[in-house]
Amino acid sequence: MKIRVVKEKCAGHARCWAQSPEIYDLDDEGYILDHDIDVPEGQERAAWLGAKSCPERALVIEDYKKDSAA
Amino acid sequence: MATVPDHVPAELVKDFSYFTGPGMCPMRGGDPQGALAALHDGPPVFYAPNNTYDGYGTWVFVRAEDQRRVLQDAETFSSHRKIFEKALGYDLPTIPLEVDPPEHGAYRSLLNPLLSPKRVMAMETANRARAVELIEAIKAKGNDCEVMNEFAFPFAVGVFLEFLGLPQSRREEFLGWADKQFHGTPEERGEAIRTVIAFMQELVELRRREPAEDFMTFVVQAKVDGREMTDKEAVGMGALLFVAGLDTVAAAIGFDFRYLAENPKQQEELRAEPKGVVLAVEELLRAFPTVIMTRIASRDTEYDGIKIKKGDRISCPSMVANRDPEEFPDPNTIDLARPNNRHVAFAYGPHRCLGSHLARRELAIAMEEWLKRIPTFRLKDDVAPTTYGGHVFGIEDVRLAWGAAGQ
Ligand code: SF4
Repeated sequence: MKIRVVKEKCAGHARCWAQSPEIYDLDDEGYILDHDIDVPEGQERAAWLGAKSCPERALVIEDYKKDSAA
Repeated sequence: MATVPDHVPAELVKDFSYFTGPGMCPMRGGDPQGALAALHDGPPVFYAPNNTYDGYGTWVFVRAEDQRRVLQDAETFSSHRKIFEKALGYDLPTIPLEVDPPEHGAYRSLLNPLLSPKRVMAMETANRARAVELIEAIKAKGNDCEVMNEFAFPFAVGVFLEFLGLPQSRREEFLGWADKQFHGTPEERGEAIRTVIAFMQELVELRRREPAEDFMTFVVQAKVDGREMTDKEAVGMGALLFVAGLDTVAAAIGFDFRYLAENPKQQEELRAEPKGVVLAVEELLRAFPTVIMTRIASRDTEYDGIKIKKGDRISCPSMVANRDPEEFPDPNTIDLARPNNRHVAFAYGPHRCLGSHLARRELAIAMEEWLKRIPTFRLKDDVAPTTYGGHVFGIEDVRLAWGAAGQ
């Protein structure tokens, strides 16, 4: 599973990080780092929750397999 | 009804106002945010001819998705509303709120680290101590209190003073200004704004002469685009902190405590499981946000076939986006453990509330410490708080009692 980061849309809500700090890293200003995220196995659910909590829809979930989030 | 501009088709006009519409006037036991949820039964975009306190019409964007599109496009929908111009007789842009991209980016980058999630964590201990002190004083006095005056405002003002590096001994003075600025007559408001501006001007001059370890020193020594900050810019920043950081946080505390007073079951659940407070605060921000985002079209444009003219006011009420059934299942149900809560209490887009991380920590601290120290509380003598609409929704008085008081 991959999370595509649409950096221009990130407005620094930090909701992704609040939800799943192990997946999402912020810079010193509180914005998401500018690279896509390869989600390690077993952390799909955390990544999914973090992406879903972004108000700007700046985090796009790719290659998501439903059974892996159970 | 005020006049409707020619480019607005009659079928898009709706008699509606944040000030006088149903549920908007000050009233005991009101639910202004809930009242606005009814807009989802109507058109997604409409024109309200008299929808500002000074008699302007605004477009109202109902859906979360549309508000997101508008607020993310700061070039077309400018944030420079000149909120101080009327009171001051000249334009003092509040920075960074009233500066649009690309200039916005430089100011924002400068200020972001001061209010980033990490920095807010560093302020946690002092802010928590402040809340504890206020709550202990209330507890020592008896079994009841009025939350807004005795806790919410003093707490928010205390955090503000700490952030600015000002002594807490100035709290009463700031409380007075805040009270006039947010709840006074139009004359008193203008007066309070001028007082705040004059204060910030003095502070800027002082910190240029005598630097200290504080916010204003940082600001006057900072460089934007390779040059020094002007006095006007520094004053505009200080003034924005004042208008944005006090009333909103205090009102949110009021709405949160009212909710818990009226919902003893949820109150007890949080008391038993304090870890739930962080999520609960998010849900209450979704249910009871306080700010209506306003933008001004910087050029003629079209939005899904609707003609919007340069200078038109665009209104994005967060409380309506937060009750959008397309965005939130069961939007009118308050579920303190709601997952995926991408509410918009702090706006979308580049102007996303700079103070949001501090604000949500203030709310969580307030609730955690209150629940820890005050036993099961309820509305005193069943007097429901007075709520009101407007550009910033609010709650005037939240009288609580616990134990044997008020029975
Ligand atoms: S939640 Fe979205 S907007 Fe917020 S920091 Fe994460 S990516 Fe950026």
